Amino acid sequence: MTAGSVSKRSMQKIQNYLMAYAFIAVPVLSFVVFLLIPMVVSFWWSLNDYNGLQPAKFVGLQNYIELFTKDKNFINALRNTTSFVLLGMGIGPTLGLLTAILLNQKVRFLSIFRTAYYLPVMTSLVVVSTIWVMLYNQNGLFNTLLGSLGFEAVGWLSDPKIALVSVAIASIWQGFGFETVIFLAALQSIPREQYEAAMIDGASGVQQFFYITLPALRPVLAFVYIYGIIGSYQIFDQVFVMTSGGPMQSTSTIVYFLFGKFQDLRLGYASAIAYVLFAILVIFSFIAFKMEKE
Amino acid sequence: MKTQKPFRFYLGRFVLYAVLVVSSITMIIPFYWAVSTSLKMEQFVFSNPPQWFPNPPTLQAYLSVFTRINFGKYFLNSVFVAVITTLGHVFFDTLAAYAFAKLTFPGRDKIFFVLLLGLMVPFQVNLIPLYRIMATLGWTNTYLALIVPNLTSIFGIFMMRQFLKSIPNDLLDAGRIDGCSEFGVFWRIVAPLALPGIATLIILTFMGTWNDFLWPRLVTSSEALFTLPVGLAQLQAKNTSNVAQIMAGTVLTALPMIIVFLFMQRQFIEGMTAGALKE
Repeated sequence: MTAGSVSKRSMQKIQNYLMAYAFIAVPVLSFVVFLLIPMVVSFWWSLNDYNGLQPAKFVGLQNYIELFTKDKNFINALRNTTSFVLLGMGIGPTLGLLTAILLNQKVRFLSIFRTAYYLPVMTSLVVVSTIWVMLYNQNGLFNTLLGSLGFEAVGWLSDPKIALVSVAIASIWQGFGFETVIFLAALQSIPREQYEAAMIDGASGVQQFFYITLPALRPVLAFVYIYGIIGSYQIFDQVFVMTSGGPMQSTSTIVYFLFGKFQDLRLGYASAIAYVLFAILVIFSFIAFKMEKE
Repeated sequence: MKTQKPFRFYLGRFVLYAVLVVSSITMIIPFYWAVSTSLKMEQFVFSNPPQWFPNPPTLQAYLSVFTRINFGKYFLNSVFVAVITTLGHVFFDTLAAYAFAKLTFPGRDKIFFVLLLGLMVPFQVNLIPLYRIMATLGWTNTYLALIVPNLTSIFGIFMMRQFLKSIPNDLLDAGRIDGCSEFGVFWRIVAPLALPGIATLIILTFMGTWNDFLWPRLVTSSEALFTLPVGLAQLQAKNTSNVAQIMAGTVLTALPMIIVFLFMQRQFIEGMTAGALKE
């Protein structure tokens, strides 16, 4: 082998590397400029008193301390968001699993039923919100139907005790079809023979569910709950459109609260909120990672 | 015994279908009510007993949404932003995914790992500085702010990489021996084979962009740049707007996605389950 062919080959190699780097250049650049740098800047701002107009003033952990010790509205938003997550995660995946089990019974017209559950999933949350605002109206469909059954009208979005639940109901309606589809796909991948063998051994339907179905669904269950929790903690659109955080801040959530601070130009403070949210999500992601590893 | 089983079987089937039909109808009622309300005269929107069928039906709300509010413009904005963004994802995500899946270069796995870490960062964390960057560049209230930060996505790269890994290397080598450049291999061999994956990518990106709210709401204040969800939220927030009008806007915002879904149902379902069921 001559020296010329070696250098030719290494030239070729370098050229291939450059080509590969060119292929990933736009995503990497986009990652650095639109994600990495803003992320670092955001963290720096969270340690500063900064309004975007005057120069930032370093205050250490002051923003975080204020959030957790002085800001009742933030604690309220944190509590509301957690209630929302618990409500949604308590009901949504259960509904998803129930409907998936129904659809898994060799149903005819499967795709029609599945479409009915799934349609709201691809609908924008703004659309979902405007529809439910109409349904929840004091004179809207729900109250009219309740009235015809002899019940009193409910202040779905005007009663501070109920508003958050109303937002959660609309969100569950919007989202559980996603879980239906995922659970259905998982159920369909469980081998039929397992059930047949169990039936020969005389296992009841309930026993089959707890000893075959649930264990087989475990990884998917972990996925659904963890990603559901992470998504729900970021709730914003519904609150923005349906309630603006009211009445009496009863539906104010973390991201909605952050949005308000951003509009008030408390950029350092808003950044601190973002990092608190990030910390919450990291904890759940870590749990997800642990569970998926098992 | 043998004659009893069919009876129980049919009873079970009856209950099953009854539950499915009733629950499906319950799911559809809010949509139906939105469409029906959008075709009502405003004074009948909240009539008691409720008007299940618009009487008389009217297109007044749709007319006023296009004439008194600029919904046509929002619609075009949404289409433009979603189409360009989706094209960007198809090209950049697939190309990068190809490099990560099939090419060797120094730092490949490390770079990919760092990108994956970025998946964990919620958008709210970089939101505010990102807004400032847009403002500094003078991009707020332009299409640039709506499109450029979203031209590629880590999730898209990740998904396409999984997909491209299943393409046999022999095919690529055959292309190289035939004298294709690396880009030629990508364009002539990989991209056509990746079409099913690309279909999923198109759907997920288009849906995400079409339905996106927080970012477009933040970077546009001029009505001329509103996308449908932003325009619709604005319409909802105005005290002067009437319910039939809001529902006309709602239907116009939701309908394109629903039509796309009905035509590409299989890819939708596959795309949605891909992330969850991949080991």
